[in-house]
Amino acid sequence: MPAILKHRPSSRLWFSLLGIGMIVGAIGVINVLLKGHGHVYNVSREIPWGILISTYVFLVVSSTGLCLISSLGHVFGIEKFEFFGKRAILLAILTLLCGFGTIAMELNHPLRMALYAVISPNFTSAIWWMGTLYGLYLLLLCGEFFFLMKGMHKGAFTMGMLGFIAAVSAHSNLGAVFGLLEARPYWYGPFLPLYFILSALVSGGAIISLLVYFHHKESGALMPQRYEEFMDTLGRLQALFLMILIFFVIWKIIPGLYGHPPEKFEATMAVLSGPLAFNFWFFEVLIGMLIPVTLLLNRRTRTPLGVMYAGLLSTFGIFFMRYDLVVAGQLVSMREGAADLVGGLLHYAPSLTEVAIVVGAISLCLFLYTMAEHLLPLGGEEH
Amino acid sequence: MSEKRYAIVLDTRRCIDCKACTVACKAENSVPLGRNNYRNWVDEEALRGQYPNLGQSFTPSQCQHCGNPPCAHVCPTHATEVNPDGIVHVVDKKCIGCKYCQTACPYNARYYNEELGAVDKCTFCAHRVYEGRLPACVETCPTKVRVFGDINDPNSEVSRLLAKYPSRVLKPAQGTKPHLFYLI
Repeated sequence: MPAILKHRPSSRLWFSLLGIGMIVGAIGVINVLLKGHGHVYNVSREIPWGILISTYVFLVVSSTGLCLISSLGHVFGIEKFEFFGKRAILLAILTLLCGFGTIAMELNHPLRMALYAVISPNFTSAIWWMGTLYGLYLLLLCGEFFFLMKGMHKGAFTMGMLGFIAAVSAHSNLGAVFGLLEARPYWYGPFLPLYFILSALVSGGAIISLLVYFHHKESGALMPQRYEEFMDTLGRLQALFLMILIFFVIWKIIPGLYGHPPEKFEATMAVLSGPLAFNFWFFEVLIGMLIPVTLLLNRRTRTPLGVMYAGLLSTFGIFFMRYDLVVAGQLVSMREGAADLVGGLLHYAPSLTEVAIVVGAISLCLFLYTMAEHLLPLGGEEH
Repeated sequence: MSEKRYAIVLDTRRCIDCKACTVACKAENSVPLGRNNYRNWVDEEALRGQYPNLGQSFTPSQCQHCGNPPCAHVCPTHATEVNPDGIVHVVDKKCIGCKYCQTACPYNARYYNEELGAVDKCTFCAHRVYEGRLPACVETCPTKVRVFGDINDPNSEVSRLLAKYPSRVLKPAQGTKPHLFYLI
């Protein structure tokens, strides 16, 4: 592993940070295994899904996005998008695995799931479909990665095509996990499956801008013309995705306010001016969408560095988008006269253990990717 | 004769908010301590009127043993089952703890029971009912708010009450077809 031992200060700092993150995560995992979910997680009877679920969503959205954007290259034949294929698919596999890890820590019995999802499947359950389709998607991603590594373009195309279909099916199904719940007006309806696909494109574009920029940075050379051109194209595409996303966000809000629909209105207000307002306005709107779209639309800031910054900010913003979406849907009590309400709403804030596991999962993902970058022959700039 | 279909009819005007039903349920079903852990509850409605003309109602409730139960539709492993008599219950060993049923139930009738290692809920005290006894909450109520029985039997007390008085169910627009009937 000579590449890791280059003793460059930035690389040492990077590995130290990831090491600390993974230790923190391991402490969280040990804590929950020793003490039990109920004692160390802040999820409750009324809000059973917390930050571990939203982080799972964040990670698998990233995976789907990486798959969709990279398919522009080796499935849809846009040459400019071909050169990062291996890296994008590899990271798609790792984000998906770390997402599975996060949800396994949220499930009380992940092993029972492995057994009973097979011998007692319920085909009307969106979670069953989500698990099955994501499992299939993982296999196809692995196949695609194998063919890309072997340089077998035909196989990579076939796997890529199937992977694309699986990605869209699995990911819209994840939206349906929320969207099919009639009991939760903030989530219910066809909006979320569609929104999840779009936001996957935003996530994928953002992460690929980081991938390409830092891969280049790591190689220490001047950025080749091709890379610069690619970053410019990606920046324009990302601006388009973000602007569509802004319309999606606006149209999520308007039906939540118009005519004060019961429960949906209270949940929407929780996002706009309630307990999630800071997350929404600062992280989602400003950091996640407005600053990136400004950077990307302005020709002077649409440099490789600017596109990378926009991607980084969007990725942060999207993490909060997932959190706010998951929590907002559960803040309104299902029962009149429920106790423990704060300002008419239920309350959730993640526990230290929950946050530790989130930090651990993201650190692990980045660590595995960095190691793979050093250990696997992912090739230079050429496809 | 057709299958049995169990239901509870409640006359909330009789409820004095003594919470004996919640205590009896916890004792009968070994429900663990803790704020999240309960199978039934009494909701206190807002105070009506102005002093000295005041009124308040209480709504005892539990799993509605829906005819169209969303919890059973969403469960990925069929851990939630519906008996032919309408009793909705959880098969503990199949529960993976995803809590999808908890997010799907519009009545917030479910909680995760750490001792059982599964999501838990009211079963109409099926273990008692199948021995010919009443659910604990029904038996203990000092003012006889709850009446339990078979609505497919036209001579049962529940059928006679539903014939005699108009009733409502909670959140009918959800389409869940609840089998807890509140007399109006």
